[in-house]
Amino acid sequence: MSLRRFILKRLLAIIPILFGVSVITFAMVHLTPGDPIDQMIGLNPDITPADEAQIRARYGLDGPIYEQYLTWMSNVLVGDFGEVVYSGRDVSTIVIERLPETIALGIFGWVFALGIAIPTGIYAAVNKDKFGDTVSRFVALSGISIPNFWLGLMLILVMALWLGLWPVLAPSRLPLYHPEMLWFLILPGVTIGTAAAASIMRVMRTAMAEEMNKEYVTAARAKGLPERKVVLKHVLRNSLISVVTLAATLTAGIVSGSIVVEVVFNWPGLGREFINAIDRREVNLIMAITLFTGVAIIIANLIADILYAVLDPRIRYD
Amino acid sequence: MSQDTKRSSKVLNRRRLLQGAGAAGVAALAGCSSNGGNGNGNGGNGNGGTDQIQFPLEIQLETNADNDDRVQLVELIAESMEQTGYFETSVETYEWNTYSGRVLDTEYADEGHIPCIGLSGTFNPGSFCDALHHSSNHGQCCNLVGVSNAELDDMIDSARFGSTEIAEDPEARGAAYDEVWRMLADERYSSITHFGLNTAVANMNVHGFASYPFDETVYSYALHAPFDEQVAWLDESGASPNDTDLSDLQEGGTLRVGVGANIDSFDPPYSTDTTSTMAQGFIFEGLTATDAEGIVYPWLAESYELVDTNDIERVAYEDYMITVDADEDGVIDTEEQVIVQHPEDDPVADDEVRVLTPEEAADAVADDVFGMQYRYELHEGVEFSNGEELTAEHVVNSLRRYENSDLSAQTFDSVLHIEEVDEYTVDIFGQVVDAEGERELPGFLIFTEEQAQAEGGEIDPRQEFTPIGTGPYVLDDFSDEQFAEYERNDNYWLEDIGVENLEWFDGPSDFPNAPVIERLELEIIPDNATRSAALQNDEIDVTTGLTSATLDDFDESDDFFVYSVEAGGYDYIQYPLDVEPWDDKRLRQAVNHLVPREAIVSNIFAGWASEAWTDIPELARGAGTADFDALEDEIRPTNEFDPERAAELIEEVIEDRGYPMN
Repeated sequence: MSLRRFILKRLLAIIPILFGVSVITFAMVHLTPGDPIDQMIGLNPDITPADEAQIRARYGLDGPIYEQYLTWMSNVLVGDFGEVVYSGRDVSTIVIERLPETIALGIFGWVFALGIAIPTGIYAAVNKDKFGDTVSRFVALSGISIPNFWLGLMLILVMALWLGLWPVLAPSRLPLYHPEMLWFLILPGVTIGTAAAASIMRVMRTAMAEEMNKEYVTAARAKGLPERKVVLKHVLRNSLISVVTLAATLTAGIVSGSIVVEVVFNWPGLGREFINAIDRREVNLIMAITLFTGVAIIIANLIADILYAVLDPRIRYD
Repeated sequence: MSQDTKRSSKVLNRRRLLQGAGAAGVAALAGCSSNGGNGNGNGGNGNGGTDQIQFPLEIQLETNADNDDRVQLVELIAESMEQTGYFETSVETYEWNTYSGRVLDTEYADEGHIPCIGLSGTFNPGSFCDALHHSSNHGQCCNLVGVSNAELDDMIDSARFGSTEIAEDPEARGAAYDEVWRMLADERYSSITHFGLNTAVANMNVHGFASYPFDETVYSYALHAPFDEQVAWLDESGASPNDTDLSDLQEGGTLRVGVGANIDSFDPPYSTDTTSTMAQGFIFEGLTATDAEGIVYPWLAESYELVDTNDIERVAYEDYMITVDADEDGVIDTEEQVIVQHPEDDPVADDEVRVLTPEEAADAVADDVFGMQYRYELHEGVEFSNGEELTAEHVVNSLRRYENSDLSAQTFDSVLHIEEVDEYTVDIFGQVVDAEGERELPGFLIFTEEQAQAEGGEIDPRQEFTPIGTGPYVLDDFSDEQFAEYERNDNYWLEDIGVENLEWFDGPSDFPNAPVIERLELEIIPDNATRSAALQNDEIDVTTGLTSATLDDFDESDDFFVYSVEAGGYDYIQYPLDVEPWDDKRLRQAVNHLVPREAIVSNIFAGWASEAWTDIPELARGAGTADFDALEDEIRPTNEFDPERAAELIEEVIEDRGYPMN
């Protein structure tokens, strides 16, 4: 099978996956108690059950679940993700407005994670069981263990309040594409990338260490290749396959991590919107964000699959 | 309370709290093992029948898990009950939506648990008794345990509705409520634990600031409220914010406000959240305004008067009503706003219901069938920020915009009809004689002609529709989830008229005619910790809604000032009076004596709340009592923490009813 056919096949597979995701999410949102109307009226003694039924009917939330799902689905198929009950705003507009903020954060988190993890992983593998390796493993374990929100708050405390290097709030008047915004992406990016960096670094180290024991490495060394070349050209490339697999899986972690990070750093992205949507049981918004996230994760995995072939030409898609 | 006292009691009580939490955990475990292990047919948790009741009495206290303060509060009460030896308590917490669904179910009353929930009261004294105790609120907010006392219902109703004397004389109304508080103290269906404080924290540049009982209006009130001679300004010279003499007042500057949620909508009838209402409050105004004590002043109206009242009930509209279909969920088949629904019809149970819609309401008013009639004379020459002149027609169309909106239920539970009398005069008619009518009937905001015709939710910069009002500020820029910027309205009507020309104004002659701060920047920062950090880092000047622990830190700092005022929020527990032995009021009174109100306030809220010694907080005292001090002297002893008295009462119950004590 050619790569093109492989990609096409994988892209087509997105459809049933998203369908499954949508059914499960829709059902789960409806199985959780409460709906947007409950949130809207809150504990209001002025509102009688009949008033409530009236409001619910006004927003089309009074039918059976399957009926609501079918309505939702038929609208989505023509590109209409519906409205937010609370503010009457268009869900697609919200997602499109917020998405770039989260993508910027995610990319920065990735760049940071890979930028830190790969060199440290190599260093740790090359210096296996030496002092540097122990330190890097300790740091990695801490990175995995520290909760995002705590790390975020600590970074704000130290970097913003104590050292004054950053403001607490990223400048909300600058557009996201302004070069200056790169500076303000650092703290949330570091927070979001830390856990991923730590995981990747550990896998990188193990994979490298394993590769280093293989015969071709001994052969390369025997051939008289400089160690640097052995490590960076041969061992690294072979070790990257497991890192790519993990990195794709960690996309989900980065997406979910963005929820907390966006709240702590007041970053107006999709994650913060998602929290609001869940709080208010805004089904349409929850569905749209879940589907976008699903697509992102599927694409990340697809890219990983393609990268396998680049890294190891022996891999064939058949 | 001095800082020292506050701190020492906090340390002491934290320790107690930990003990409490531990003990409650143990109690819950003990409950489980005895249920599982005794096997004597006594049936674990059974308080359901007389033969099973024994002391120590097993009782489950419940609340929502996502409110840490409330969970701690419930644990403190459980621990306090446990320590008497008469109760084996367990504490159960639920996710909010599960919990609210659970406790608002009519059958919950039979389960025999003690629920804890929180409500927000208003200046209306009824908001501290009606929702909790009126039988009509069982199964909706928030009579959770099915209190059903016809005499009490009648007392609560008649303290508000149906009497011209009550409507016109706050003292008579206060006396009627005093009877309610007395009965509640005796019956003790619920125990209110504390009343919340509304707090705002500002840096030292903000001068003359004051908090207000409701978050929605805290900033517009602080910036300029002539009825309380309230005006805030910015002074970066380092002078103390305590210097609030008007001669020190400085004009201009930008106030940076940290708000805790997105501004979801700028369309008043289509938003119910605090932040949106707050953001709209700088732009839109109403016919009247309310001071910090709940007293109503004419605002866009130059004056108003109660013209006429008719002592009628809602049944009186029967002849004007039309019949419409209702489906099994209670959804009524009409496009029109239902103003009054026939009190004898039930849209859930009946296929048809009789309702009054705006058209028939006008007919009723034409025949002089109405509860009350208020007449509002508008200031002449008031202009919206776009130059449009305010007339009676604007007022009429503005109210009509609330029909079938998100706020229609609240609006049309009192308003019957609105009518233009002449270009600057409107009459608003109430459905029945209602002592809250003065506050409730004009409780809507005024729109321009174009806005009054706009679709629901359309007035919003995100929909390319900039909100325009008569208010002191205009919206300059807005970015969803990020910020809203306002600048002073150069065309503000009060500057033309002059505060000193307002009939009721008796403040100093140099009191400004409008807010003096030039620009407002609302920064949207949902996370409390981040908002607090932004305030510390001088990125915002003022914010609200911080946690008690953070407030303590700011209060101790020399660089910040905490402004607080008693507000309407309160938490309460209710006793399962439908389930024996809780039907005995002595048991309820006893547990009320075990509610450690002082410990709750000092421990959990670090002093940032006030003990509920009576069922009515300071803010509702205006019409809520004839003599608050006398009421407090009388009621407070019944609410004091008094384990000895509690033990006496419980012993009486045990003895009189012959319950075994193990």
